[in-house]
Amino acid sequence: MGKHHLGEFEEIVMLTVAILKEEAYGVSIIEEMETRLNRSVSMGALQTVLKRLEGKGYLESELKGATKIRGGKRKRYFTLTSLGKSVLKETKEQRLGLWNAIPDFA
Amino acid sequence: MKNTNPPQLLLRFFRWFCDPYMAEHLEGDLLERFEKRQLERGSAKAKFLFAKDVLLLLRPGIVRSFKGYQKLNYYDMFKHNLIITLRSFVRHKSSFIINLLGLTTGLACVLLIYLWVNDELLVDGFHENKESLYHIMSNHTDASGTFTIKGTPGLLHEEIKTQVPEVQWAAVYTDPHEYTVSVSGSTPLSLKVQGRFANQEYLSAFSFPLKAGQSQSLLSTNYDALITESLAERLFPNQDALGQTIEWHFRGSKTEFKVSGVLENIPQNSSEQFELILPWNYFHDELITYKQWGNYYARQSVVIGPGSSAEVVGQKIDAIFKANLPDTRVELFLSPYTDLYLHGKFINGEQAGGRIESVRLLSFIALLILLIACINFINLTTARASQRMKEVGVKKSLGATRQSLAYQFLTESVLLCALATLLAFLLVFLLLPEFNHITQKNIRLVFSPQLLVAATVLLLVVGLLAGSYPALHLSRLKALLILKGFKATNNSSGIGRKALVVFQFALSTVLIVSVVVIFRQMELVQTKNLGYDRNNLIYFEREGQLTDQYEAFLAELKNLPGVENAAVSGFMVGGMNSTGGVGWKGKTDEDQIQFWEYNAGINSVELLGVEFLKGRGFSEEFKTNENGVIFNETAIKAMGMEDPIGKTVYHYTGQKQIVGVVKDFSIASIHKPAEPALFLYRPESTHFIMARINGEQTSTTLQQIEKLYSQFNPEFPFKPIFVDQDYQALYASEQRMAVLSRYSAILAILISCLGLFGLTAYTTEKRVKEISIRKVLGSGVWRIIVLLTGQFSILVGLGIIIALPLSYWAAQQWLSDFAYQIELKWWFFALAGLGTLLLAWLTVFGQTFKAARVNPATNLRNE
Repeated sequence: MGKHHLGEFEEIVMLTVAILKEEAYGVSIIEEMETRLNRSVSMGALQTVLKRLEGKGYLESELKGATKIRGGKRKRYFTLTSLGKSVLKETKEQRLGLWNAIPDFA
Repeated sequence: MKNTNPPQLLLRFFRWFCDPYMAEHLEGDLLERFEKRQLERGSAKAKFLFAKDVLLLLRPGIVRSFKGYQKLNYYDMFKHNLIITLRSFVRHKSSFIINLLGLTTGLACVLLIYLWVNDELLVDGFHENKESLYHIMSNHTDASGTFTIKGTPGLLHEEIKTQVPEVQWAAVYTDPHEYTVSVSGSTPLSLKVQGRFANQEYLSAFSFPLKAGQSQSLLSTNYDALITESLAERLFPNQDALGQTIEWHFRGSKTEFKVSGVLENIPQNSSEQFELILPWNYFHDELITYKQWGNYYARQSVVIGPGSSAEVVGQKIDAIFKANLPDTRVELFLSPYTDLYLHGKFINGEQAGGRIESVRLLSFIALLILLIACINFINLTTARASQRMKEVGVKKSLGATRQSLAYQFLTESVLLCALATLLAFLLVFLLLPEFNHITQKNIRLVFSPQLLVAATVLLLVVGLLAGSYPALHLSRLKALLILKGFKATNNSSGIGRKALVVFQFALSTVLIVSVVVIFRQMELVQTKNLGYDRNNLIYFEREGQLTDQYEAFLAELKNLPGVENAAVSGFMVGGMNSTGGVGWKGKTDEDQIQFWEYNAGINSVELLGVEFLKGRGFSEEFKTNENGVIFNETAIKAMGMEDPIGKTVYHYTGQKQIVGVVKDFSIASIHKPAEPALFLYRPESTHFIMARINGEQTSTTLQQIEKLYSQFNPEFPFKPIFVDQDYQALYASEQRMAVLSRYSAILAILISCLGLFGLTAYTTEKRVKEISIRKVLGSGVWRIIVLLTGQFSILVGLGIIIALPLSYWAAQQWLSDFAYQIELKWWFFALAGLGTLLLAWLTVFGQTFKAARVNPATNLRNE
């Protein structure tokens, strides 16, 4: 499955979505990444990647939960699709394979 | 802490640019972050970060696709309108074709006229000095009035140079004339070439750029020559023409000139075409024997310096002239050079139009044709539109807005217009060679931005105008009313439509009358007895050996079987030299008469076939030819002589005795009545050999003459000219007018008939129930045809009645320009009127016949 190649940022976003499980939407994903990775991410960058991943079929999204805060706007919740999951797993195995192949790593 | 709102402007900006798919949750995210930050870090910081967020969202994946989003809506609407339009074209084939045909011919005609007018206006416009370039004209006044010529005394040139400092460049030159030029060397060659004499400043005053050679040394000696690129190519193929020697033949002499410069080819839009320039000084020093102030052999143009007035310079020049020729009644004045092509006509010394009249007339005609074609188009579209009321009703009840309906009608008419414009361009492209042939031009269809913009504006204006009635009127109607069977009443536009038919047929009638009148007048010009017999009369230049050995040549020429008679001659159609230098006993200062002057030899006058009233011609039996002169009737009358034969007159070449008087013959143009003329016995100065040949085997005779000619002049090209051809050329512009009037009449009739055809189709269709009921009640086919036709006949008849006095007036105006006119016969007008009526009937007949033949049951079945 060589055609499913994930970029570094894409991989991180997907992993974060997986961590947040049912609670992954724009703001929560950014905050999660900031706390866990100490990495500041702009909304623009995140949203383009989310859109791209959804387009590839790795993520799916749903609008729900209008509340009084946020100006009454709904949130778009992202979840991994099964394709997304298998791609993530495959990426992980590839990485592991590479790690294991290193003869001697100080 | 104060709870503030995020910056509304930025939010609105975000809502505007964001992809609608992401707009909601992204806005939510933005607000959520803003609210959180406001609590944590204060309003100001939150606002700043909000702005940063919004700006960082401005990236390709998030900004909506403006193009795609808008296109989606408008494109579909446009596509829909397009399909509807094409369907309605297919459904209403006849009206579609009528519209297209009418508009296409109209536009094509307008386009052709536009091209022609544009070309005319650009003639001589390429001269860089055109703003300050003036031609010196001379007004000659005699008892019969004032006439204006381009000629001036050659002596004036030096005086202008020294005495008028305002003049920057003073050009002096001759009219182009056909000369024989040859080159010897390895490949001898001789050609007939249009050449002129000019001074060096000619090239500074006029813009004829140099291709090769030193501009300072051009024409500096008397034996320098300038040739154009094309002539250089013909004379010296694949060689450098600079420094080569050419031989110029004049009568019996041969002069060598050195090519000191090569000019670029003379542009097509130059009013004067030539290929060779020889030095003015040579011409003036060697060829002009009578250098006098009363001799108008030179053409002179001046470029005046900045800040000087042409009027003042003109007065100065006139003063110089008058100082040298005190008692003259000739006046010199300046006229802008580039104006002369279009405004070349002078009446009583005043500029009075010229070609500009045709330019204006044709522009007017173009506008008229365009107007008619447009109104026709609008009319037909309007008429058709009311048939589509049901369509409008259904669309409206399905929710179409007024705007979208208006768009639909406008799309339809603009599309048709665009199609017509394209076809018109195609038509013009196809017709251009023929058009160029008729107009003697070399116009090409160049898609200049100017033309394209004009065409686009035109098609939009016509299309929008034509579509405006249905777009504005029909779209306003209530769906309910339409579907209940309400008929749009067109009473107001009905009058307009009728007026149009009247107008169109009036115009057609005027044009038919003018075609008849022009045709008859041209026939008169063709067959008019000119006072001399121009048929089978040929002439050719007397040069080379023919200059000295002309008597031997003539003797042999007369012996050729096809040649009836031959002589040396100075006669030329249109006249050539004109002189005021004739005196007689009893001449007063008032008697300044300008005579056309022809040189003649033995038999020359008889050869022309001019009739002698008194006396005799120059013939061999009489030894007193030497100082003889022959006048025409008008000249004798003008001089007031009672018994002219044997009397003495004083010509500028010496004393002359009148030996004969001939009947008047046509000289310059039949626009002018007979003018005074004289024949001088000067065989050595005659330019031509003239021969009357037997009309039966022209080509064999010409071949024999050529053979004889080449025995005398082996190195000269033989180029005989028929006097009749020259005569025809004199009326080229009238002939052109005849052809153009024929075409425009055909066009006008075509467009009028198309308009009438469309209108009949519409009316008969509207009255189809009435016709059916009439038939049920027992009316015959013919009665119905008469009923339907009668209505139109009244309109067409009215148009004809309006047209007749108008056309009578126009014809008289046109004819008044001719010295000999045809009589305007009543039947010209009757013919035009009847013809128009007949055409109108024919146009209507097909439709009415069909309508009258239809089975009433088919039309009355559904109600």
